[in-house]
Amino acid sequence: MMSRNGEPIIRIENVHKRFHTLRGTVNALNGVSLDVMPGEVVLIVGPSGSGKSTLLRCINRLETVDAGQIVVDDIPLTGAKNINKVRAEVGMVFQSFNLFPDRTALGNIVLAQRVVRKRRRGDAVTRAHNLLAKVGIPDKADAYPAQLSGGQQQRVAIARALAMDPKIMLFDEPTSALDPEMIKEVLDVMLQLAKEGMTMVVVSHEMGFARAAADRAVFMDEGRIVEQGPPDKLFSSPSHERTQLFLSKIL
Amino acid sequence: MPDESNRNSQVGPSEVMPPEHSGTIVPPKSIYDRTLTWAAGLPWWAIILLVVAVAVLYSMVTSSVYRDIIESLTDDPQVSTDELFEVVQIVGEPTMIVGRYVGETQDSVQSVITQLLRNVIESELVTQSGFIQAADPATITIRTETGLVTIPRDRIETMEPPDATIGDDATITYIERITITGTLTERDGDTMTIRTVDEQIETFEKSRILSREGETIPCDREADPDCEDQEQVTIERAGREITGTLSTLSQTNLSLQPEGSPGTVEFRMGDLDFLYVPTLTIALHEAIVEQPVQPGDEVRIGFVEGTDITAALAEMENLEDVPVPLRYSDGTAQVVLVPYPDLAAALEATGAGELDATIYLDDGPERLAAADWVDENPDAGVVLPNPPSTCDRHCEVTVKLQDDTVSGIVVDETDEQISVRTQAAEYVVIDRDQIVDNRRMEPGTCALNNLRGCNEGIFLTLRVTFLAYGLALIIGLFVGLMRVSHNPVIYAISTLYVEVIRGIPLLVILLYAGFVFSPWLRDNTPLQLSDEWEAIIGLAFGYGAFVAEIFRAGIQSISRGQMEAARSLGMNYPQSMRYVILPQAVRVVLPPLGNDFIAMLKDSALISVLALPDLLQLGRLHISRTFRAFEGYNTVAILYLLMTLFLSFIVRTIERRARLPR
Repeated sequence: MMSRNGEPIIRIENVHKRFHTLRGTVNALNGVSLDVMPGEVVLIVGPSGSGKSTLLRCINRLETVDAGQIVVDDIPLTGAKNINKVRAEVGMVFQSFNLFPDRTALGNIVLAQRVVRKRRRGDAVTRAHNLLAKVGIPDKADAYPAQLSGGQQQRVAIARALAMDPKIMLFDEPTSALDPEMIKEVLDVMLQLAKEGMTMVVVSHEMGFARAAADRAVFMDEGRIVEQGPPDKLFSSPSHERTQLFLSKIL
Repeated sequence: MPDESNRNSQVGPSEVMPPEHSGTIVPPKSIYDRTLTWAAGLPWWAIILLVVAVAVLYSMVTSSVYRDIIESLTDDPQVSTDELFEVVQIVGEPTMIVGRYVGETQDSVQSVITQLLRNVIESELVTQSGFIQAADPATITIRTETGLVTIPRDRIETMEPPDATIGDDATITYIERITITGTLTERDGDTMTIRTVDEQIETFEKSRILSREGETIPCDREADPDCEDQEQVTIERAGREITGTLSTLSQTNLSLQPEGSPGTVEFRMGDLDFLYVPTLTIALHEAIVEQPVQPGDEVRIGFVEGTDITAALAEMENLEDVPVPLRYSDGTAQVVLVPYPDLAAALEATGAGELDATIYLDDGPERLAAADWVDENPDAGVVLPNPPSTCDRHCEVTVKLQDDTVSGIVVDETDEQISVRTQAAEYVVIDRDQIVDNRRMEPGTCALNNLRGCNEGIFLTLRVTFLAYGLALIIGLFVGLMRVSHNPVIYAISTLYVEVIRGIPLLVILLYAGFVFSPWLRDNTPLQLSDEWEAIIGLAFGYGAFVAEIFRAGIQSISRGQMEAARSLGMNYPQSMRYVILPQAVRVVLPPLGNDFIAMLKDSALISVLALPDLLQLGRLHISRTFRAFEGYNTVAILYLLMTLFLSFIVRTIERRARLPR
């Protein structure tokens, strides 16, 4: 485990999460513990249903945990009153973009700045334009999501999250819904972010990104962390049998 | 909670990929489509201007110009309905003119005023008691328990004591205001002419005239060289004879169905001169009307030679209630039948006492011959007791009404008929300035040829619909938000509301609002709802449930990802709803909301149960006055259709404007 600046910015301690469905109870997380240091880029891989997205959503408290504790930026999420404050510090990028379809790219980026950060319109718009330039689509400010390609939409989504000046960025399979030719433009933005020292937790199977940017890779299966380590090591010589099996399928 | 793969594959309706290649074949747009697109491109104020323009156009179309056109096209003033006005006006102003429209001299105006005041115009008298605080030649000011009242002297009816002056206690009764009810016939800048009494013209056959006296009233040729002299007549005319099938007969009333006419006519027995049951006429000597037949008596019965006396006797035997002198059937009396050459001779003999009775059977044209003879010879001593009825429901009878006298001005006279105006229309001209209140201004009835009469209903319908729908939107939005709440109490309350209201007919809800909720509110709170607000509240609550379900569906149709995205950006639940979910949900629900809006406009016809003069009610009023159901309901249907089409256009324009570019 790499250690930077001492204290971890995300501390996950023995987290359990169950879903109650009509067919029975699903144990999505079974005692997951994970620390993320400031500036660290953590890649989570694992088969479908292994709990990696649930873990990500728990960090943002889109899901509450049944047992254990998650502390983000020294604020424990369990029973936190100011959960919205935590969320504003944690940007999230979704697989299906979840842009607001009734607002332009600019409007998507401006909205939360105005509502949550209470920035003045002019400031919010300036920031939005800067971010659109940063993600490489400065000319799409007035386009509606439906008028953008998937890659462009995802980059707007990243810009929207960045506009809140988050300390942590969570990426939930950001490239899975994209055509192959658009994946790169999104990954480039993510790589750039990683270089700038953003703390990132990424659920993705993009090996290229993993090798280029990730400090650590985590393999999850059946709600548990099976194995973790530097991406090169994890992908080339996994120590666990389950990891080997999984990697042999996706590589 | 779906597992990750499911969620990953979830694509909300708002996340459809953009079309990479737009279609190359563009189908030609319909005019409607082009109009809609054009309207959707207009700025919002242009839409408002457009609506106002339509309203102005409508009011122009329904102005008197339209009415005049209809009249000139059809050449029939009857096609446009009169305007009815009831005006409450202060009396006693010197400029007020009250007068008869026709044939009055300046001198007689004063008496007409008095007459009108007594007969047509209702005065409202008010009595005030108090201490006379001030008095001048024109007014008296008294201090009552409630405050100072200044009364013009010319309106005082009585004052007790009559000579009270400043400092005295007095009780004054004065005319506070008068009400004039009538039909507005003319309106110009300063005055209104109201016809308070309708003209009455009687037209009848000249053959009924018994006597006629008349004098010619020369007209004023200096004022109008073309005028015609008028003839004032007093005509004594014979009562009408009506023959028909008897439908009901009682002590006081009789009704029959005249020959060749579908309806029945009802008469009071007192108005009848004679009731003739054609099967049999019995004439009695007046001295023996109640004299019973003794054993051994001889009953002399006269008849007309050549008539069927056997049939007449048989008919009499069939009577349930034979006149007393003819009750000889126990066989002890001897009946002598005496033939006479004609009816008059037999009747004369009856009157002279030579005969006890004459019986006469004829259903021919001579039906009333006996009755006529008795009328002409009142001193002959013959009576015709009404034949006791063997006439059941369907026999044919003839009634003769009593003679009467008609007097008036001859307005039309031909060889067969004469028309007499028995009562002139009376008009009141009032200064519009003096009107303090128009209690009811009903411009006629609502009909296609008098759309002005529909205005009240149209505007009421629109007003109620817009206000009620606005309220329903507010209720629906809140209840819809409650329906998606995770709080079980809030969810339960909203579900209860939706299920209860949705399960009760709107008509019943309206009746609850009008006759349960509103009286309760009146009795328990200082609030008092007008009929209109009862209707608005009823409609709004009834529709609130449907609107709530539309909002709920709309909110739930927005993918979870939207809420998650909003929350992950740090917005709280209300902010996410307000800025992210609702703007999208409203776009989704615009078509069903518009649909409900139009449905409510139509359902607003139900408010007529609360005695509100909405469009339907006005249409029904027209029908009840004219019995023209087809036209009346056509008017209502066409106007509703026009309103809904117009609203539909506006709704579509709004939808088009709300559509997102793609």
